[in-house]
Amino acid sequence: MPVKSSFHDQENIFSFWPRHNETILKRLESKDAWLSTRRGTEVSRVKDALEHEMTLNIGPQHPATHGVLRCMVKLDGELIEKCVLDIGYLHRGVEKLAESKTYQEFMPYTDRMDYLAPYANNVAWCMAVEKLANVEIPERAQWIRMIMCELARISSHLLWLGVGLMDAGAVSVFLWTFQGREDLYSIFDEVSGARFTVSHSRIGGLATDLSSKAIDMIRDFAIRYEEVIKGWQKLLNRNRIWIDRNKDVGTVSADEAIALGLTGSNLRGSGVPYDIRTFEPYLKYDEVDFIIPLREEGDCLARYHIRVEEMLESIKIIHQCLDRLPEGPIRADDAKKTYPSKNEVYYSMEGMIHDFMYTETGIAPPEGAAAYHAIESPKGELGFYLESDGTGCPWRARINAPSFTNLQGLESMMEGHPVADIVVLIGSIDPVMGEADK
Amino acid sequence: MADSLNFHFTPVDKARPDEENLHAKASTDVTDVIQAIQEQFPEAITEVVVYAGERTIFIAGEVFLEVCTALKEELGFTYLVDLAGVDRFQEEAPRYEVYYCFVNLQKGKRLRIKVRVEEDDAVLPSITGLFKAADWNERECFDMLGIRFEGHPDLRRMFMPEDFEYHPQRKEFPLLGIPGSLPLPPRTPEGELTMDPFAAAHSGSPAKSYQEPAENDEN
Repeated sequence: MPVKSSFHDQENIFSFWPRHNETILKRLESKDAWLSTRRGTEVSRVKDALEHEMTLNIGPQHPATHGVLRCMVKLDGELIEKCVLDIGYLHRGVEKLAESKTYQEFMPYTDRMDYLAPYANNVAWCMAVEKLANVEIPERAQWIRMIMCELARISSHLLWLGVGLMDAGAVSVFLWTFQGREDLYSIFDEVSGARFTVSHSRIGGLATDLSSKAIDMIRDFAIRYEEVIKGWQKLLNRNRIWIDRNKDVGTVSADEAIALGLTGSNLRGSGVPYDIRTFEPYLKYDEVDFIIPLREEGDCLARYHIRVEEMLESIKIIHQCLDRLPEGPIRADDAKKTYPSKNEVYYSMEGMIHDFMYTETGIAPPEGAAAYHAIESPKGELGFYLESDGTGCPWRARINAPSFTNLQGLESMMEGHPVADIVVLIGSIDPVMGEADK
Repeated sequence: MADSLNFHFTPVDKARPDEENLHAKASTDVTDVIQAIQEQFPEAITEVVVYAGERTIFIAGEVFLEVCTALKEELGFTYLVDLAGVDRFQEEAPRYEVYYCFVNLQKGKRLRIKVRVEEDDAVLPSITGLFKAADWNERECFDMLGIRFEGHPDLRRMFMPEDFEYHPQRKEFPLLGIPGSLPLPPRTPEGELTMDPFAAAHSGSPAKSYQEPAENDEN
C-alpha cells in the first residue's frame, strides 16, 4: 500500500490529532482502491485530450478576437485541423436600413461600419452616390477628402499595430500607438467637430472647410509621425520575437489569395498588386506620387511590412495634398444635388427651402440607375453597389465590406497552425466586425 | 391632358445610358468581353444595360454556370469581388436578381453580370466550385433573400440565427422586424424572457407572437 507507507513517514506532522489521521487514512485507502479498480477496467479509460481530436470554441467575446468573432476550431493535439468562423453577432441590417433612408441620411450609418476609419467609409458612400447621381465634386473637397482618408488609414493601421503587438505579448506598443490615435482624434475633432464618428463628408463635397489650425495640426502630425513610424520599424523589423511569431504563419500564395477573394493589404502581401487607388483612380490619386507596397511571401510578416510601409506612403500623400491644396468651394453649388451653404440657409428664403427639401427628399438619382463605386479603405476594397428607383431612397444598397471577404479567407489560413497562432492570425488580417457583420 | 396635370414633386428622370458620367472609370468598359461571350454563347446575354460607363450584363440562368467557367478560364476574370441579391419586387415575373462583380487583374477590367431568379423556384447554381470567394456571399444572399444555391457545400445562414424563419431583406419584411421572431432579452431587469432562446437546441421551434391563418380557413 503505497499510500499508507508514505503517510506513515509523515506521521509526526499530523500526530496532533490521531482521530483525524485515521479518517484521512481511510479516505485515502478507499480512493486508492477506487482508482485501481477503475484503471483496471477497459471501459472507463479516459482518452488524453491532447493526443486526440477536440473541438475548441473561441469567442465570441474575447479581447484577442478583435470584436465579436467566434472561431470553432477542431484540434489535433495542438494543431488546428479545421476552423469554422461564426459571424453575425453585430448584425444590424444596415443594407436594409439604407433602403428607408435618404442618401444623405444614411451617411452617418457608414461611420459605424468600419469604426476604426470612419472617414474613409463616409467618402466611399458619398462617392458611390455621386457616381449614381452624377454629381461634381469641387477640387478642394477632393484634396481634403484624400488627406482625411489617408489619416483614417493611418489611424486604422495604428490600432492594428498596437493590438497586433498586444496579441503577441508586447503591451507597451499599444499605449504608444494609442497616443498616435489620440493625436488623430484631435485632428478629426478640429476638422469635423467629432472625434470618432466624424460624418464629415457630404454628397457633392464636405460639411465644412479645413481651418488653418487643422491644416497646421495635420502637417505637424505628418512631420512628427514619419519619424515615429520609422522608429517602430526599427523596433520590429529585426525583432527576434516579432519575426518568430509572424514569419511563415498563415502563408497564402497569390493564386490562393485571389481564389479566396482577399482584399487590401492581405492580397498585396501575397504579391497581387491590386489597389483601387491605382486600379481605378478616384479623387486625385492619379495626380500624386506614391507607391503601393508589395510583398510576395504571403505570411503575417509580409502583411505587417506592407501596413507599416503603407502608413509611410500615406504620410507622403498627405504632404503632397497639403502642398497642392487649392482655394475654392468645398461643396458643389447645385441645390438639387447637395446641401446649400449655411450662409444661404440663414440669409435667403431659397436657401432655407432647399435645405428643407434636401433633408426631406434629398438627392434623387434617375430611375433605373445602378452604379458600383469602390475605394481603397484601410481594410481593402470598400465598394457600394447602389440601385435607384428614382426616389430619394436607394432601392438597393449593397455594401461590399473588405472585412467580410478577408474573414472568409481566414478559415483556410488557420488550418495547420497551432492554437497559439490564432490570435496572431486574426490580428494580421485586421478584421472589423462592425463592417463584416453589416 | 391628364399627363400634363400630373404633378411630380421631384421630377423623376429615367437613367440615360449616353449621359457622360464624371466618375466613370476606364476599367468598366467591357465591350470586348460582351462580344466574346456572345460569340461563344449566342443565347446567353438577354440584355445589356449601360449607365455611368458601367455595363450590367443579364445572363440567362440556364447557361450561367458555363458563362462563369468561360469568364474564369478563358477571359481572365479570376477574382470575384462581390455577389449579392436584389429584390426587384415588381409585377414582372422574375422577382429576384443576383449580381456578380468580377475583376480581371491582368487587364484591369471590372465586370458586372446579373442573373434573374424566379420567386417560386428561387434556386441558382452555386459558383463556389469555380470561385471559393463566393462561399460566404452566397450564404449571405441565402440568409437575406432566401435564394438557394445548388451545390453550395454549406448553405447555412450567415448573419441571422439558424432558426430564424424569415429572409429579412425581402421587400415585404417590415423594417421594424416581426415581433417575437427573435429571442430578445427582457426589457427590464425584472422582466421575463419572452421565449426560449435556445428553442432549436431543445428540439422545439420558436414561438410566434402572431396568429397564422389556419390552412383550411373558409373565410
